[in-house]
Amino acid sequence: MTLRRRPVRIAAVLVGACLGIAACNRGDGGAPTVALVLKTLNNPFFVEMEQGAREAADSLGIELVVQAPEREIDVEKQMQIVENLLQRRVDALLITPSGSREIVPAVVKANEAAIPVVVVDTRVDAPALEEAGARISSFIGSDNVDGGRMAGRFVAERLGGQGRVAVLEGIPGHETGDSRLTGFREVLAEHPGLEIVSSQTANWERDQAFNVTQNVLQSHPDLDAIFAANDVMALGAVEAVAAAGRTGEIVIVGFDAQDDARIAIREERMDATIAQNPREMGRLAVISADRLLRGETVPAEQPVRIELVTGQQTGAVEAPAREE
Amino acid sequence: MALPRTKLLHGREVGTLAGLLALCAALWVATPHFATVSNLVNVVEQSAIIGIVAVGMTFVILTGGIDLSVGSIVALSGVALGTAHEAGLPIAAAAAVGLTVGLACGLGNGALITLGRLPPFIATLGMMSVARGIALMLSDGRPISGYPASFRALATGHVLGIPFPVILMLAIYAVAHFLLTRTLLGRYTYAIGGNEEASALSGINVRAYKAAAYAIAGLLSAVTSMLLVARLNSAQPIAGIMYELDAIAAVVIGGTSLLGGSGTVIGTLIGALIMGVLRNGLNLLGVSSYLQQVAIGSVIIVAVLVDMMLRRRARRAAE
Repeated sequence: MTLRRRPVRIAAVLVGACLGIAACNRGDGGAPTVALVLKTLNNPFFVEMEQGAREAADSLGIELVVQAPEREIDVEKQMQIVENLLQRRVDALLITPSGSREIVPAVVKANEAAIPVVVVDTRVDAPALEEAGARISSFIGSDNVDGGRMAGRFVAERLGGQGRVAVLEGIPGHETGDSRLTGFREVLAEHPGLEIVSSQTANWERDQAFNVTQNVLQSHPDLDAIFAANDVMALGAVEAVAAAGRTGEIVIVGFDAQDDARIAIREERMDATIAQNPREMGRLAVISADRLLRGETVPAEQPVRIELVTGQQTGAVEAPAREE
Repeated sequence: MALPRTKLLHGREVGTLAGLLALCAALWVATPHFATVSNLVNVVEQSAIIGIVAVGMTFVILTGGIDLSVGSIVALSGVALGTAHEAGLPIAAAAAVGLTVGLACGLGNGALITLGRLPPFIATLGMMSVARGIALMLSDGRPISGYPASFRALATGHVLGIPFPVILMLAIYAVAHFLLTRTLLGRYTYAIGGNEEASALSGINVRAYKAAAYAIAGLLSAVTSMLLVARLNSAQPIAGIMYELDAIAAVVIGGTSLLGGSGTVIGTLIGALIMGVLRNGLNLLGVSSYLQQVAIGSVIIVAVLVDMMLRRRARRAAE
């Protein structure tokens, strides 16, 4: 009977696959295990954060497990990953929340399992955290509101306080994007000559930013500046502006200072970006976990340096950004 | 034309079940964290989300159709619930609004396909975009958070140590299995998928039964969205993206033919569990998230390959 043979065959394939994977993932020693759960791994920002975390983990003798949902916006998948890591009994959890409120149930579960939680990059919504009675040990991240202000001041200066500005927003409800926009709008409001003619989301994505920018250029051909809440979107805007043959006429400011953005600035296709330091965030996160596991305390807030990167500084800033 | 099975486990499901058990055995060997009671409960609970969507998808695929809109309906139903709750409706009434919206979307799909004679792929592709757009409009793109503990118990509650989502999922599978094997609805669903023309000629109201399959898919998407909102304490307009593909994968791994007319919900349940166990296991093993996607895709391909190979051989043996 053929039906009898089928189970055996599937079984063989699956067992083989699993043992193969297991063999590649040895390393259960006595070292403490720390999990870093990222929003995604298809954004260089988080890849750099992972590198910083790995370097710190290697020097401290910590086993680091890095996991991320396929898509940055997948709050449910991130919850599943946290649940699965809690089952694995990691010793500490470092999270960059995909949703400021949606992560709270996962923090509650970690609290119940008595596993310390360090939040990186994106803040957890404080009222939601309090309401759930959940605790986090530390927050490590940039002051995004201040970064938004820096971007606003740069645009105001370049336009001489006079002009029409378009904004590319991240996914609504993300604390990082919202904070950057808050700071940016705050500064623009101080300049009556500056008008935000369009503020639309491109969901953190490059291709969506390209399309939105093209559309904005159709409806506002007299546009003077674009502020994107991250570099991925700013680079989409750069391409759309180039396609319209207007490179150099429209000031484009991004956020994150990714390598691609630094190159675009050096080539004068883009004007400025705000440097965060994801590598430092990853490093600090692992160091904090290590201290927590030793029973030491860590500060509740650990700000990471942030700075404006423009044409004159791209080379100069790159070096300190890579300091260990 | 395959007739509905009355046995609980047919040969095909035995094969898929063996695959699931083998996967579990391999993970049991590979990591000490897999075969614990709390982790196994955890896996089944996580599988409930896609598992419930996949039941509706099974009905649709059995009729020879496809439903690409389930993920968007998950988002829209949740946002409808959130909006109604924010507007001051009591949570039970808000949940009823959410469920009604899901059912209405499903009926809309059914009407487009039967009355409008649109191919299911096109009708539900349209619905996928429309429902997602309305969800974003209603919520202004923002998640709607904060629900009473009584509602959140839907995801966080336990009965005799079994999480409520697991009980809900098993109940839905039991009802679906009963519908497909013991009722006219089930008999006609298989008949339509097997040969639509012959079914119509033999007097079956093909339109009504086809529409029913999409209505079931819409309603179950709404049920899933209730679970999701309760779990995350937040209704998200961007929830459920790609759920249609995960659900289709669960159905196909479970041995249901994409051509319609053959398959079972028990197979789908096992398919959903295979996907859940695989994700869980890869997380436990700390496998890189890039490799995880490769592994999941490979399992889908291998499962269907083996299935088709054996079916071909069985046909040859029968000749």
